[in-house]
Amino acid sequence: MHNSRYLLIGFVAVLVLIAGQALAASAFGGPAVPTSGISGWIFAQQAAFYRSMSAAVMAAKANGTAEFGLAWLAFLYGIFHAAGPGHGKAVISSYLIADGATVTRGIVLSVAAALAQAITAIAIVGIAAVILGGTAKAMGSTVRWLEITAYAGIIAFGLMLVWRKGRALIAALRSSSHHAHDHAHHDHNHDHAHCDHSHGPEPSELKGKGWLKRGFAAVVAVGLRPCSGAIFILVFALSQGIFAIGVIATFAMAAGTAITVAAIALIAVLGKGLAVRILKTRGGGQLGVAVLGIEVAAAILIAAFGVLLLTGYMASERLFAA
Amino acid sequence: MIAFARRFFLAAALSLFATGGAFAHPHVFVTAKGELIYGANGALKEIRYTWSFDEMFSAFAAQGLDANGDGKLSREELQALAKENVDSLKEFAYFTVSPRGAKALEFGEPADYWFETDNQNNLTLHFTLPVKNAPKGGIAIEVYDPTYFVAFSLADGKPVSLQGAPAGCAVDAKTADNAAANNPSEAFFQQLQAGADYGAQFANRISVRCP
Repeated sequence: MHNSRYLLIGFVAVLVLIAGQALAASAFGGPAVPTSGISGWIFAQQAAFYRSMSAAVMAAKANGTAEFGLAWLAFLYGIFHAAGPGHGKAVISSYLIADGATVTRGIVLSVAAALAQAITAIAIVGIAAVILGGTAKAMGSTVRWLEITAYAGIIAFGLMLVWRKGRALIAALRSSSHHAHDHAHHDHNHDHAHCDHSHGPEPSELKGKGWLKRGFAAVVAVGLRPCSGAIFILVFALSQGIFAIGVIATFAMAAGTAITVAAIALIAVLGKGLAVRILKTRGGGQLGVAVLGIEVAAAILIAAFGVLLLTGYMASERLFAA
Repeated sequence: MIAFARRFFLAAALSLFATGGAFAHPHVFVTAKGELIYGANGALKEIRYTWSFDEMFSAFAAQGLDANGDGKLSREELQALAKENVDSLKEFAYFTVSPRGAKALEFGEPADYWFETDNQNNLTLHFTLPVKNAPKGGIAIEVYDPTYFVAFSLADGKPVSLQGAPAGCAVDAKTADNAAANNPSEAFFQQLQAGADYGAQFANRISVRCP
């Protein structure tokens, strides 16, 4: 009976999260549904920094030391811009909820994802434009294929996690309904969610080293999609004959992006920790089931997010977005 | 149990905030001018648009198109891009609409399209947009991107002029306050929360009044 209550809570949590994601996804690729004054302020900041960057590129062309100004501007832009759609916040945060949320993991994955996005943007512009002399159209179709690949990867990754966590959940449910005894060994004094998987299959894999491998998959899926702002600034720097300065600016932007993505990932870590703690005060022996319920929910969310991105993307092929 | 549920949902909401997103800023900036050309029947026949693009988007759009490598972009080098752009603009109704509640405008195929460049290789798109169902005399037109991916504003001075309009007609053009996005006021935030047609608050409003 306890089981079903916690499953219900987990299920509601999924619905809440997916509804939130749907809202976020509609903002993807253009159509924007702003939600609050804070969003409006963030929006205003990124728009202002974006507009100043082209002037900074031209200043950097005229004067060697101005590139520091440009890098600083790109860094600030990255911080604010990453609060907008894309940049893998959703996937990284959901992944952390689904697969052992710790502060270290949150930071490592966020930085890696931001770096991967910067490298993708540099590789696209570097190869397509600098080496091959390709057009915006050529870069656009490269980005399109990368995006489709990335979104398909996110779906596959989400489904993999659903399978993994789902099996663990089923095993935990079966086990707790067969033995009604109290699992005293679950009452650790710390709150790491991954301490509660003892019923699932391959426990070492669920809480152990495997996260790095799975986290890497998440980073690749996120990092394959370059940030449009980075592409624009790289091509503009190229047109001014200072591509290398564009590369520096792109990495500065990635540093800013990493800060925001990490901050948001840490909120997800905090949120999960809080949920686990609350469940713990109530849940007792059923804690493992409830936590697994949340994790399965987050895994479903990743897959759903991939689907939304893929379909939303297909539906909103933009004129200029290329 | 209620307190418990509330706390749990607070936690869920925190996670939700973490996974949800804000929204993107404009990536393309267009400064527009227009000539409203009237037909013999006294109705708006076509709009002769001049859209100047910002330097970042210009560089992006023109990347790799300098076919002869002389560092300048000629009209010929940009013609394929011009065609591509007017073709795809159709899907976006040329970002040109009637005000809410008014009858939707119908357009013909754009004609006389080409790109002009300045000495910085910034792009300006020229095209003539036939309007098929304009009423006689006065008309109101809004120019904007509902998604605000493209930020339109009208050029300084007299951005919109009339040609061949019935005697006594006058045009009034109000440019979008894109600057509001850079220096947001209380009202700006209220509008942000208003609804789906987000870009409408950045609409450029053109109206022709006839006696």
